[in-house]
Amino acid sequence: MNGRIAGIALLALGMAAGAWFQFTRGTPPSRPGPAIRVAAGEASAPSSDDLPPVVKIPDRLPQFSLGDRSGKTTPIASFAGKSLIINFWATWCAPCRSEIPLLETLQAEWAGRGASVVGIAVDHRDQVLEFADRFKIGYPLLIGEQDALDAAASFGVTSPVFPFTVFTDRRGEVVALFIGELHQPQAELILSQVQQLNAGQIELPAARRAITAGLSALHSST
Amino acid sequence: MMWLLYSARMKILLTALLLLLAGVASAKPWWIRGAASNETDFLPPDVAFRVAASVDDNIIRVRWVIADGYYLYRHRMSITAESPDLVTFAPAMPPGVVKVDPYFGSQEIYRQQVEAAVRFTRIDAGAHPLQIKVIYQGCADAGLCYPPITKVIYPQESRPTAAAASHPFETIAILAGGLAFLLAGLLLRKGRKLELPAA
Repeated sequence: MNGRIAGIALLALGMAAGAWFQFTRGTPPSRPGPAIRVAAGEASAPSSDDLPPVVKIPDRLPQFSLGDRSGKTTPIASFAGKSLIINFWATWCAPCRSEIPLLETLQAEWAGRGASVVGIAVDHRDQVLEFADRFKIGYPLLIGEQDALDAAASFGVTSPVFPFTVFTDRRGEVVALFIGELHQPQAELILSQVQQLNAGQIELPAARRAITAGLSALHSST
Repeated sequence: MMWLLYSARMKILLTALLLLLAGVASAKPWWIRGAASNETDFLPPDVAFRVAASVDDNIIRVRWVIADGYYLYRHRMSITAESPDLVTFAPAMPPGVVKVDPYFGSQEIYRQQVEAAVRFTRIDAGAHPLQIKVIYQGCADAGLCYPPITKVIYPQESRPTAAAASHPFETIAILAGGLAFLLAGLLLRKGRKLELPAA
């Protein structure tokens, strides 16, 4: 009888041990399934999936409205009739800060010739206002977050990068879009074409071709 | 026959040419066409900065490969646990290169590549797939910055884990269980009489 009880106890013990080890062995997978992976998780050669879709720069200034420094909603159309230098930037972006003196110079030099710089800050309003005070930004500023990103996207810049600058003529035709920090030679090249367009001396396609060739020459010379 | 051969060859050549053309087209990656622009001067963010993660024992290694002429800011990089059972510790990062900016001052940056090592523990012995969130932000020397990029990544095992899959006491437990089963059977059998139904 004692033997029988001991036998049952041993059997139970053996089964319990087996069950316990089966359970702790990790019924759920102890490592991630290989099937789930984010597209850019691999540091391999970029595939075509990494590349954003091609978006066209609009021919004409798109319509959008953003808050100005006082918070008043201001449509970009309120600058109509002027050639515009629309500069998208953010306070955390070093090259955006670097080009502020040039933008101030352009505003001073071109205001009398029917052109205006419009800064579009894609950032938190309080940070932009503090920054604008500290760096004494004199040209008009529009400020926004998602709405400013939407404005950037309306120029074809759907995968945001900063800074970038859009140049329009006084009729609202988008003449050029310059990505990255703007320097004096590039700005002068583009604005001289804008000026000729405004004076009716050249047509838009010719101006764009001249700008493309000029930017390319400046790029390869640096 | 010759014509067929010629045709097949032409097909291959044409296909190769088409592929080449497609390659050339996609080699101009930037996203915009239209007005005069310098769109091809810069890489899309996921090409400029490529990130991957692997698991090595109790360490997650996150590696960034950075294109020439681009850099990442050290203080803007973060790695945090995303799966609910995961606890990560502060990442160990190598020292970067100091970049002096007239507005931001001295900042540490990384070029070419950088690897962060993150120690981790898991509360539920691996019920969830390992999942981390990485945030990083970088710029191009040519004067352009990308907004912070956030990615959720499933780190991949860096080596085969056949040995690690079994518990060290598993074999002992199975053998002991089997032995116990045999012993129990023998003990139960002892003294038991075979009872046959009466014919």
